[in-house]
Amino acid sequence: MVSASLHSDLIAAVATPPGQGGIGIVRLSGHGAKSLAEKVAQAKLEPRKAVFTKFFHAGQVLDEGLVILFPRPNSFTGEEVVEFQGHGSPVVLQLLLNTLCEQGARLARPGEFSERAYLNGKMDLAQAEAIADLIASASATAARGAMRSLQGEFSARVNALAAGLEKLRIFVEAAIDFPDEDVDILADHQVLTNIQQLRQQLADLLAQTQQGQLLAEGASVTLLGAPNTGKSSLLNVLAGEEAAIVTDIPGTTRDLLKVDLIIGGIPIRLVDTAGLRETSERVEQLGIERAQKQAQLAEVILVVVDASQGQDIDEEVSRLCGLSELRVGDKRIFVVMNKQDLVSRIDTNTTYAICHVSAKTGDGMEILRQHIQQRVGFVAQEAPFTARARHVDALQVASAALQQAQDCLQNKHETEIVAEELRLAHNALGEIVGTVSADDLLGKIFSEFCIGK
Amino acid sequence: MDYPDQFDVIVVGGGHAGTEAAAAAARMGVRTLLLTQSIETIGQMSCNPAIGGIGKSHLVAEIDALDGIMAKAADAAGIHFKILNARKGPAVRATRAQADRVLYKNAVRKMLEQQPNLSLFQQSVVDFVIQNNTITGVVTQMGLVFSCRCVVLTTGTFLGGKIHIGTENHAGGRAGDAPSIALAHRLRALPFRVGRLKTGTPPRIDGRSVDFSNLEVQPGDDPRPVMSDLCTSMDHPRQVNCFITRTNPQTHKIIQDNLSRSALCSGAIEGVGPRYCPSIEDKVVRFADKNEHQIFIEPEGLNTTELYPNGISTSLPFDAQLAFVRSIEGFAKAHITRPGYAIEYDYFDPRDLTHSLQTKVLDGLFFAGQINGTTGYEEAGAQGLLAGINAARKSQHQATWEPRRDEAYIGVMVDDLVNLGTSEPYRMFTSRAEYRLRLRQDNADQRLHELGLHLGVIGEQRAQHFAAKMHQLESLRSQLASAKVQPNSALAAALLSLIGVGVSKDTDLLELLRRPDVNAASIATILAGHIGTQQASTATMRGADLLGQIEIETKYAGYIKRQDNEIAKIRRHEGMSLPQGLRYNDIDGLSNELRFKLSDARPATLARAARIPGMTPAALSILLVYAKKFAHGDSAATG
Repeated sequence: MVSASLHSDLIAAVATPPGQGGIGIVRLSGHGAKSLAEKVAQAKLEPRKAVFTKFFHAGQVLDEGLVILFPRPNSFTGEEVVEFQGHGSPVVLQLLLNTLCEQGARLARPGEFSERAYLNGKMDLAQAEAIADLIASASATAARGAMRSLQGEFSARVNALAAGLEKLRIFVEAAIDFPDEDVDILADHQVLTNIQQLRQQLADLLAQTQQGQLLAEGASVTLLGAPNTGKSSLLNVLAGEEAAIVTDIPGTTRDLLKVDLIIGGIPIRLVDTAGLRETSERVEQLGIERAQKQAQLAEVILVVVDASQGQDIDEEVSRLCGLSELRVGDKRIFVVMNKQDLVSRIDTNTTYAICHVSAKTGDGMEILRQHIQQRVGFVAQEAPFTARARHVDALQVASAALQQAQDCLQNKHETEIVAEELRLAHNALGEIVGTVSADDLLGKIFSEFCIGK
Repeated sequence: MDYPDQFDVIVVGGGHAGTEAAAAAARMGVRTLLLTQSIETIGQMSCNPAIGGIGKSHLVAEIDALDGIMAKAADAAGIHFKILNARKGPAVRATRAQADRVLYKNAVRKMLEQQPNLSLFQQSVVDFVIQNNTITGVVTQMGLVFSCRCVVLTTGTFLGGKIHIGTENHAGGRAGDAPSIALAHRLRALPFRVGRLKTGTPPRIDGRSVDFSNLEVQPGDDPRPVMSDLCTSMDHPRQVNCFITRTNPQTHKIIQDNLSRSALCSGAIEGVGPRYCPSIEDKVVRFADKNEHQIFIEPEGLNTTELYPNGISTSLPFDAQLAFVRSIEGFAKAHITRPGYAIEYDYFDPRDLTHSLQTKVLDGLFFAGQINGTTGYEEAGAQGLLAGINAARKSQHQATWEPRRDEAYIGVMVDDLVNLGTSEPYRMFTSRAEYRLRLRQDNADQRLHELGLHLGVIGEQRAQHFAAKMHQLESLRSQLASAKVQPNSALAAALLSLIGVGVSKDTDLLELLRRPDVNAASIATILAGHIGTQQASTATMRGADLLGQIEIETKYAGYIKRQDNEIAKIRRHEGMSLPQGLRYNDIDGLSNELRFKLSDARPATLARAARIPGMTPAALSILLVYAKKFAHGDSAATG
């Protein structure tokens, strides 16, 4: 039997889409939501009654706004829920979230609010697939977001840290499990030096991540298609209509054109790519490779097809998927039939979601924008924002554990305690790069040391 | 003929798994029969003559806590005891005993023969009696049919066993014993996944031909540790020394020159050997930069001159074995009494078992020991104990015991095996236990005693012993808590002069013990010499143990609490069962790799799914959502 008590711990997340908005909502759900909220708001809360108050952190005012308590089971998740409605600034929302997490809540995983709502019977059972989809796509978004916004450098550096930590653990665990072998680690100054190096790398990464140097906001929408299907005109029309807030980023590459815009309050980075076709020409091939990379990182892929050519849509999309190394049927794909002004017939017989537009006349553009908003809104509901905060969180846990490990080593505490702290640090990084099992670790020990009598 | 008496549990095999299984079932009061090819070899140590070691002595302590026989037999037969990892912390501290093979075997047999409800019978089993997918009996080589409710199969390396020496090979279960071919065929006909594993032994050497004069002596520890809570060092026989020697470049050259004639390199062996216990050929090839490898020379017993040179297991032809052995310091004139050999055997994929060690294929059939892909007496014994307990429970229609990872090393081992299977002989290491700091040798009894009483596997003597220990522990604790040290008192002065620790306010000894610069030994000194309330208990070895345990409790409290929180989180997932009919391939949002692994492992709970490598928090959430849907009778993704 599935029990709802599985999820009694307190979770928090920003509930409004990322970016600058008028109002920002931070939602808190689980056992103890009310008492934590009352501490932060310094006000008494009553069920379903909006209280206007200030939000505090360590005696300082963070923001002011409304706080509303929804007691269980009559809430979004079916648990005790508190909503903080403050100003929409990402910085303020982040500070509020940090405050809640410092005092007992933890950051929600992607899709976790919806998951709890579902598990507590707040959603129709028929929605299982949709919820599973949401969790999967929100997690994938978070991963893509981290990769994209941190320019891949972040993952590379976390991976390097995890590898360093693994090496260290191999030494320490070998010293424990194979004392007959010539592996005397703790007499060795190398371990201490290695811990110090790892701590330094971790501190650098944390500092940069927190300063936002490696961060960029916005969901990614990518235009893909054969040459001359009108991708660039579409980009211009979409951007032109939002001209007031378009910032043109001068081409980082010659053939990826990036435009930042806001659709329905959600910040979006629209990326135009080189036309996809079989080619042996070197420069064009490079452009296509960039398009492939871009498609992997996108939340939404607009596959643009020239409607006037009269091809079979599914066949054409499959062909483009092949060229861009996408999986046929990828759920991020949304087909845009352009140049609709040149044909009268409207073909809707396809497995993909489809939209008929004319970049030239502007017909159908409103519907296209609604579609983009809906798609991005669906996955952005649990903000890449939180994903990033979760990463920072994991790095901090790892950092604290490494500090402990170093102290224990310097104070000549038991080897097993040093090993325990290293395990915790490794687990924390594992939340970002995937966990390493004890068997993996043992395998590495056997390949590095001549073990066994 | 049909044997006239009815049994509840039949155990097939008299090795370390079989003897623990039979003894456990009989202790629980069910009618138990142990069937073995040879009563003479019950409790035989087929490999090295040692019990315990790192990770392994934790299993022995757990067997002992549930009143099993291994620890007691090791104390009766131990001729050299050592504490390992003495300074690396209480959780990884371990005990190892070299045992006299004959004394060990005799001790095991004596305990079985004195065990009420247990009968022994010498016959090999060739077939099963099966009704409606349920095992109801076994058939022996002379056609004798024994009927029963549950069978525990502990056939070790005897299933399809094949012995290799150089390029020669022959069928065999252990040097000198026949393999169980008929039973292997019978089992292969059932839908079990079967694999091949390999292990090796070194050549044995006659001690009279060894020159010990230049070898490093390794004496046993003083004071001498014990294996069983119910024994003291008074139970130990005469103690002897071990020795250490080393291979050299000449040894390595001889091995290199003969590699093409080794069974390992000729391709004659298909089984996978353990990476942590490589043959000397393996070591020489894989670690070619090392000029020497250690060899531990272990005596085989008090009344034999045979020695076990641990570290040079080999499947080279005999002439090469003799040549490389004689190139080693001290072995120049060595006489080999038994050649080394490699043995290959069948094992059954433990993923076809439940956590109770019952097979998923036949109801009432349990597997324990090497048949499940493990290696080592301790691993076998622990599984035997578990399978014996559960076979007895099942025969009485009671719920089985599925040990958890946070409660015992037995739980770690079973969960690893059942969840992940194994591709090499599985051996216990402390690094396999994520809750290592809780799963200590010293608290094995505290972890498992209550449970053992509930299962009915613990006898009167042990129950009394445990109650007495708990009582002493409690009174020692309150004695420490009430002993206050006041600043500027005589006691404070004594404290400062004895251990260099000063107090600035009233402090009791329990608080004092929490400080990193104060240990159990210094507290014992204070208790003995300056408080005057010295109790008999603190003067004995046991008293020192108790104080040590209180020290661990106080110093590790923070770490234990943190692990408790981690466990509580996972325990919630433990309560979430996953429907066995879940069609993982139809679940969107899972990666293909995870779909494959989940379909293969069919984890029974969310917690077990969580331990599948590569599992992500998101995938777990998705499983949870589908489990909920299934629980409400919607079968869209099940079938």
